[in-house]
Amino acid sequence: MTLVQPGEPSTATRSTPIVRVRHVHKYFRRGSEQIDVLHDLSVDVPSGEFLALMGPSGSGKTTLLNLVAGLDTPSEGEVWVGDQLVSAMSESQLARWRTRHIGFIFQFYHLLPVLSAYENVELPLLLLPLSASERRRQVNTALELVGLGHRMRHRPGQLSGGQQQRVGIARAIVTDPTLIVADEPTGDLDARSAEEILDLLGELRRVLHKTIILVTHDPRAASRADRILHLEKGQLVVANGGGGS
Amino acid sequence: MFDVWNQLAFWSVVVLLLAAVSRVPIGYNLRNLTVRWRTTMMTAAAFTLVIALLVVMTAFVNGMNRLTDSSGRPDNVLVLSDGAPDEAISTLNLGDLPQIENLPLVERRGGRPMASRETFIIVNQAVETTRRDRPKRRFLQLRGIEDPLRSAYVHDQGLLPGGAWFSPAGAVELPPDGERARPVVAIQCVVGEGVARELGRDRDAAQLASARNPKRLDVGDTFTMGNRTWLITGILDSASTTFGSEIWAKRSLVAAIFGKNVYTTLVVRCPSPQAAVEMKDFLANYRNVAVSAQVETDYYKSLSETSQQFAWAIGFVVVIMSVGGVFGVMNTMYAAISQRIKDIGVLRLLGYSRLQILASFMLESLGIAIIGGALGCFIGSLADGWTATSVVSSNAGAGKTVVLRLVVDANTLALGAVLTMIMGAVGGLLPSLNAMRLKALEALR
Amino acid sequence: MKFAMLILRNVIRNPMRSILSVLVTVVLVFVVIVVWSVLSLLDYLTTEKSQNFRGLVTERWSIPSRLPFSYADPLSRGAARRPGDVMPTDSMTWQFYVSTLDKEKITRESLLFCVAVEPAKILTMMDGLDLLEGNDLAELTRYVKVLEEKRQGIILGRNHAVNLLQKSLFEPKEIIGKRINVTGLATFKGIDLEFEVVGLFPPGRYDTLAAINREYYNNAFDAYQRNTGRTHPLAGANLNLVWLKVPDTNSFTRLAEQIENAPDFANPAVKCETAASGYASFLGGFKDLIWGMRWLLAPACLFTILLVIANAISISVRERRQEMAVMKVLGFRPWQILALVLGESLLLGAGAGMLSSGGTYLVINVLMGGLKFPIAFFDRFMVPEAALWWGPSVGGLAALLGSLLPAWSARNVKAAEVFAKIT
Repeated sequence: MTLVQPGEPSTATRSTPIVRVRHVHKYFRRGSEQIDVLHDLSVDVPSGEFLALMGPSGSGKTTLLNLVAGLDTPSEGEVWVGDQLVSAMSESQLARWRTRHIGFIFQFYHLLPVLSAYENVELPLLLLPLSASERRRQVNTALELVGLGHRMRHRPGQLSGGQQQRVGIARAIVTDPTLIVADEPTGDLDARSAEEILDLLGELRRVLHKTIILVTHDPRAASRADRILHLEKGQLVVANGGGGS
Repeated sequence: MFDVWNQLAFWSVVVLLLAAVSRVPIGYNLRNLTVRWRTTMMTAAAFTLVIALLVVMTAFVNGMNRLTDSSGRPDNVLVLSDGAPDEAISTLNLGDLPQIENLPLVERRGGRPMASRETFIIVNQAVETTRRDRPKRRFLQLRGIEDPLRSAYVHDQGLLPGGAWFSPAGAVELPPDGERARPVVAIQCVVGEGVARELGRDRDAAQLASARNPKRLDVGDTFTMGNRTWLITGILDSASTTFGSEIWAKRSLVAAIFGKNVYTTLVVRCPSPQAAVEMKDFLANYRNVAVSAQVETDYYKSLSETSQQFAWAIGFVVVIMSVGGVFGVMNTMYAAISQRIKDIGVLRLLGYSRLQILASFMLESLGIAIIGGALGCFIGSLADGWTATSVVSSNAGAGKTVVLRLVVDANTLALGAVLTMIMGAVGGLLPSLNAMRLKALEALR
Repeated sequence: MKFAMLILRNVIRNPMRSILSVLVTVVLVFVVIVVWSVLSLLDYLTTEKSQNFRGLVTERWSIPSRLPFSYADPLSRGAARRPGDVMPTDSMTWQFYVSTLDKEKITRESLLFCVAVEPAKILTMMDGLDLLEGNDLAELTRYVKVLEEKRQGIILGRNHAVNLLQKSLFEPKEIIGKRINVTGLATFKGIDLEFEVVGLFPPGRYDTLAAINREYYNNAFDAYQRNTGRTHPLAGANLNLVWLKVPDTNSFTRLAEQIENAPDFANPAVKCETAASGYASFLGGFKDLIWGMRWLLAPACLFTILLVIANAISISVRERRQEMAVMKVLGFRPWQILALVLGESLLLGAGAGMLSSGGTYLVINVLMGGLKFPIAFFDRFMVPEAALWWGPSVGGLAALLGSLLPAWSARNVKAAEVFAKIT
């Protein structure tokens, strides 16, 4: 199974890190008070790695994820993804970059309720210069991959939580992104569905060699990762290998 | 400056551009509109009302303009007494008439000048009807002419099939019948379609049941005016001219019955429109007669002052009413956007640009507008062909009561389309800008 | 009281939506008030009165009505010839005179439309002026007195004053005392007059009319004959209409018969009709236009208000379903929820309507000095005081009707929806 992305040569190899975070600071101002969320944080993610970010609420793990995904810019420091300096891009550059390079998976799925599963998955492709038949092929492939080939015409409201999350995953991989970011993807699911979703993520990494960054509270979810990073008060505390399969 | 077709083209291009810019599938907008169909319908209904009203009111003005535009001939000169702005108060000197008729600029046929001497009277008619919805009195416009065929030639005026011009005597004795115990002398006349329709409405149910033509009086019908019985011998083929609101009869009889034994109007035919202009200029400086002359078409054009005023009034009312449509769609769009903040967040995350979000919501607002406006145009266009009474007049004091037909033409519908799109765009802009400004992360929080 | 506060809070908590709905109501109620103001005057004029009948004598068959001035006296007496004939309680003769203030440039602004009258009758016989009170009455009485004394006086309408002064409407009285020269137009050619402005009509109906002393006007025709050696073409036909007042319907019917059958008025023949019927036939040409205003324009505006408010309220009900479920859980009864929603919309509609009618009254009557709308013999219309009630009632009613459905659906919110997921 291949998801073809025309004109997008993969520059990253397995040995060079695909995500490089360098001395990143992130702080917000609330009145006169300055709140440090991330403090001089540096981290590399090699291509094809399944990385889990853990930490208590307010530790900055989601902020780090947002920076890497190009949703936010650091106050200081650099964020590289592939050969792009993401932290220096303008908002509209970021928007265009995200479409091609990042796949998002959310806790609450965030599917558009009025669109069918198929149309939800197709959404990011509409921004790319693809013919209708190419789009159809990619959407079908992505939905088959998550095991929803038979549910394409259903609206999100007609799908279970686990199924909705699979649509979310299909949408995340349909553009063949450089990096998939997942924010608590199992947080709203029952144990069985959560297992299935985690299996699917593991499969993405194993079969498609996708780089995945997963933010989670759940140790069981984190245990599927190659590596777990713990954040506390905006800094990395421990780094150890996960129980990746 | 304001060309409705340019405007329509402009707004169509705007819609197409928005559709091209927004990559959000149009089905997304359409489905959201159908999911909240009640809100969509109420919002669109406000557009329908405004546009339907605009179309009907514009059709009314169109009808007035069509009358004043198509009445009169450019090669006719209308002669009134000096200083008289209108036929009703004009009094020509008898001695002036032959002097004008025999001028070389006047067309001659069979040795006779093609001129129509006329007495125009506005008659106050007491309406004799048992129907309670009819007025008690009305004004009828009566034109006394001397030689029907010559006047018909000058005015280029024919009769509908089945009619005839009145006899040289201008009157005929009617034998007794169900309504008349004794024979009466009836004045023969030809009437415009508009008057025939208006008079026909006075009939009660019994009369209508036995009527020759239930829609209007027809050849052979009689009516009462000025204590006399009038017999219709023909219906003027007067589609969309002011003659449709007139009654023509023998001048000498008319003058005697209504005590107005003067000529009010002289209309002369010239060989060409150019000759008519020369004739008008000549009469302006001709010392021998005291008249004011104008090319007939110019006279009727001057009667469009009223429709100008109406057009302004309509513009005023429509602008105010469209505020209703604009604010209505604004409310709807603000609510739509606040319900779909999460959708917007997702789209932004997936890489949709601000402009694409703006375009998508603008399209949705324009979609409501177009649905409502199209329905409004349709409903408004049902008014096409309705007849209505109105007054056309000029600032100078000339005026006529006319029966007109409402005209919904392509221009009117285009105007409706333009207004609906402007309303949709204006009403959608602020909410769409709000949607555009949403930050992805904040929207998903 | 607490309940009222709750309603108020709900109205102001989505200020954007409330403001939009209020603005829609304000502008549309404005149109309705304007339309109804015009219609109410026309209706008033064309409705037959049961008392103080005003009759109108004109030429029987044709318009413009032109009667010889010799008809003036007998007509003023109602053509009473025999003892027992009905005598009108009051009368007034009108002789029209159309002239221009600027014979070089004849425009709408320079036109002066006068009626030559017996000055004293202005106070008793002119529609609307007979109802004046207080200051207005005292002022007009003073002007009329001067017009009686000064034959060459003229009482102007506001529009002339403004045009002559080239100034705003606020100080039109500066015109009093000025002299003006006018030139007769059309059939009045040759009758050129000179006036001294002695007063102004109160604003409203008579803004485009001027009143002059009929003695001065009639003398002008004699002067024309002296100067030119010819009688003026209008000399035998310069009386246009005679107004008569009778106490009741019965005497009016007799009076009309008396006049129409009098042998003195044979050529031209005359007719006597009620003022209402006279107005109605003059408005005949505008009947479809008036119909359209009454049955298309005003209802369309009302319905638009209804739609916009219904939409706004149903949106806010939908957004608050869960909140209403919570209220039910807390023990609010269905009718209270219903009343809450209806109250909100009533507050919006009636409030906006009140704002609109107050504003319309102020802007049109005070700032603009009447709404310019030339139809038949009218030039501008004033907003009646009753309109102050139309606004809140119309706005409130439209809002109430519009919110019935959404209120009903709010009433039927199930308490269980408190646990529903927000969509």
